[in-house]
Amino acid sequence: MTDHVARLYAVAFALLVFFFTWAAVAAHPWGTEATATAQDPRVAALDRRAQRLELRRARVQQLLDRRFAEYRRQLRERQGQIAAIEAAPVVVATPSVSAPSVGTVSSPPVTSTRSS
Amino acid sequence: MERRAFPAMGTDVEILLDADPVPGVERGLGRVEPEFARLEALLSRFRPDSELARLNAAGELDAGPELLEVLGLALDARERTGGRFDPTVHDALVAAGYDRSFAELDGSAAGGPVPAGGAVRIEGMRIALDPGVRLDLGGIAKGWAVDRAVRELSTLGPCLVNAGGDLAVSGIPADGHWAVGLDTPAGPLTLGVVDGALATTGRDRRRWRAGGEERHHVIDPASGRPADTDLLTVTVAAATAVEAEVRAKALFLAGAEAAALEAEATGIPAVLVTDDGAVRLVGGLR
Repeated sequence: MTDHVARLYAVAFALLVFFFTWAAVAAHPWGTEATATAQDPRVAALDRRAQRLELRRARVQQLLDRRFAEYRRQLRERQGQIAAIEAAPVVVATPSVSAPSVGTVSSPPVTSTRSS
Repeated sequence: MERRAFPAMGTDVEILLDADPVPGVERGLGRVEPEFARLEALLSRFRPDSELARLNAAGELDAGPELLEVLGLALDARERTGGRFDPTVHDALVAAGYDRSFAELDGSAAGGPVPAGGAVRIEGMRIALDPGVRLDLGGIAKGWAVDRAVRELSTLGPCLVNAGGDLAVSGIPADGHWAVGLDTPAGPLTLGVVDGALATTGRDRRRWRAGGEERHHVIDPASGRPADTDLLTVTVAAATAVEAEVRAKALFLAGAEAAALEAEATGIPAVLVTDDGAVRLVGGLR
C-alpha cells in the first residue's frame, strides 16, 4: 500500500466519523419529550386547555344523554296516550268552553256587537 | 289607536290596533282587507265561482285548505251541539227566501221547510256531499276569518277585529280591556273583553217577509225553517269567534230557559235578550 492510498483511506474514515458524529448530535438522544414540552409554557397551556375541553365535552355528553333519555321517555308516554285515544271509542261530549275574561264595564265602547 | 273599516262577507269589518302608525303596522293592517276578500271569494255561497259554490253545485270537490278547515270546524260544531249548529242548512235558507246576498233579497223565492243533517264526507282533500246536501258556512266562515285576522295582527299589538258582530280581541289595550257596546231593549250594555271573542246571533236583523210571513236567517236544522224561539238575540263570549258563533247559534235555538240553564251549567258567559225585551246575563257574566 502506498502512502497515497493510505491517505485516501484516512480521509474517507475521517469523513465517516464526522457524519456519524453530526447525526448523533442532531438526534439529541440525551433529551426526553417530557422534559422538552415541560420546558415550553405554550405547549403546557395547550395541554391544560385540552384537558379542560375534554372535561367539558364529557359533561355536555352526560347532559345530552340525560336529555335524550328524558325525551325518549316523554315520547313513549305521548305515543301511549295517542294510542289510548285512538283505541278508545269516540265519545260525543260537550267540551267546556274556554271563555275569555269578560264582564260589564262602564267605560265608553270602542266598537259594538250586533246580530250578524 | 289605528282604525280601519271596509265591507266584506256581506257586512262591515272594523279593525282596531293599539299601535303607533309605523310602516310595519300600516303593512300589517293593509293585509287584512285583501285576506278577507280572498276568503270571501273561496267560502261565499253567493259567488258561483267560489270553492263552496262549486262544491254545492257538483256535490264533490278537491278542496283547498281553507274550505277544508272551516268545514271541519263546522262539522265538529254540528257534533258538539247535537245538530243545533249545522252547515247543511243551505237549502233551508234558500227555501226561506235567503237565496242571494242579503242586500239583494226580495223574498220572492220562499218555499217550504228543508230539514238539514245530510252526510258530508272528507277524505284527504276530497269533500263529498250526499245527494241533495248543500252547505252554508256564512257565520262560521266569518268567525274563522276574524280569528285569523286577529292572530295575524296580534304580533303588531293589542287588536280587535269586528265583522258585523263576530268580533275577537287579542292583547290588553291601554284601557285595560276592549269595551264592546251591545244595544238591548233595556238600554246600551258595554262588555269589557280581554283576549277572546264575542258573537251575537239574533232575528232582530237579517229578516224579511216571504210567503206572507216574516222570516229570518237563523235556521233550525231540525225543522228546516227559521228558528221559532222566544229569544230575540244571544251574545256569547268564548275563546274564539268561531266558538262564540257556534255557541250563540246553539243557545239561540235552545230558547230562553234552556239557554240560560245551559250557559250556567257550562260556564258560557252570555247575554240573552228575549222577545219581551228582558235582558239576562248568564254563565257567570256580571
